[in-house]
Amino acid sequence: MTDQGKAPARPGSALDTVEAGPAVAPGLPVRLAAATTPHPSVDALRARFGSAIHHYEVSAGDQHVVYVDAAKNREILGWLKDYPTQHYDLLADVTAVDFGERRPLQVVYQLWSIPHRRALRVKCELPLTALEIDSVEPLWKTANWLEREVYDLFGIEFGGHPDLRRILMPENYAEGHPLRKDFPLRGRFSRAEQTRRALSQDVHDHYIPSELEVGREP
Amino acid sequence: MLGVGGPTFLTTKLDFVINWARRNSLWPMPFGTACCAVEMMAAAASNFDIARFGMERMAFNPRQADVLICAGRVPYKLAPMLRRIWDQMPQPKWCVSMGACASTGGVFDTYSMVQGIDTIVPVDVYIPGCPPRPEALLYGLLMIQEKIREESLGRHGALRAENPLRAGVPNATAEQVAGLTGPFGNSTRQNRLSGLVRTDRPDRPGDRKP
Repeated sequence: MTDQGKAPARPGSALDTVEAGPAVAPGLPVRLAAATTPHPSVDALRARFGSAIHHYEVSAGDQHVVYVDAAKNREILGWLKDYPTQHYDLLADVTAVDFGERRPLQVVYQLWSIPHRRALRVKCELPLTALEIDSVEPLWKTANWLEREVYDLFGIEFGGHPDLRRILMPENYAEGHPLRKDFPLRGRFSRAEQTRRALSQDVHDHYIPSELEVGREP
Repeated sequence: MLGVGGPTFLTTKLDFVINWARRNSLWPMPFGTACCAVEMMAAAASNFDIARFGMERMAFNPRQADVLICAGRVPYKLAPMLRRIWDQMPQPKWCVSMGACASTGGVFDTYSMVQGIDTIVPVDVYIPGCPPRPEALLYGLLMIQEKIREESLGRHGALRAENPLRAGVPNATAEQVAGLTGPFGNSTRQNRLSGLVRTDRPDRPGDRKP
């Protein structure tokens, strides 16, 4: 009789390794390679821009975050994009964080370098009294809609943006910027006013004039 | 002319025939915006099969639809589209509000969400659930059919006809909408003016402080 229900073990299969346990000898500390590796872009940024690089931290093990001067964001990000040893050619996300208690808002740029396979997060801090920063739309076209979203929900003005208007909230929305911590959860207007304003939206509000001309007979 | 002086043999038989024809070929207009729409698709698929009740044709065109199934949450930005679709549907027409969000706003008691589509369009049947099972949707549509069975031509004008001048006007008055909006439930202690409703409840670590 063969023993039923037990798969015949193939010599040298991966299952053998699993059953044998980790190859590391017990007692040796397990090293997280990512957490201890210094990020190659940070020293280069410091050497190049000096005091415009405020500080640097590693969060969640392997997330490298650089805080830079908000007034120089386009210069620094442009250098990160174009300098051959950096070449962060993919802007994965632009977003913002409001921690409340009148603390400065953080604008977050999540970068990824396709040739070097490296990620870097760049943050700029903006005081609530001056929510203005240069747009990076000239560097990455994808920043167009991402910055519109940040403008819509946080009220940060992006200087030099070609088409800075709301993208998620209705065009006639007049209650402010909903993701700010000082925004009340249910909005500032009464439900009746919100309903009235919603139904008085004009479909043309969703488009810019050139879009309304698309497909129209000359 | 019909129905004047009470129901007669002719009008009741005519009612029966017309209501029979109407209720057995309801064409739904699916307005699916969230997970309820997946249950609606399941109801249309072969397992549950609303074709058994004469609804095999989902009319993705409001001008050829009889019953609007609003499945899912409706944000304020979408409210004019919902109202316009309802206004484009030919009469007689019926409306099903499927799920908690479409009926009341559900858990989304927030700045962006319509608190019940009955503030936008008149609703005939509300289906509770989050999301409702396909059986619940079928039951709601059977209730629509029951509603149609009870109608008569004499009272039809009062029951179903909508004033075309009210196209685009909210279904609920401002007072009715305002009645929906007390600080209630466990969602928040905020109101819309101060941002904070003072209660005697002790602060917990997870509470939001505006």
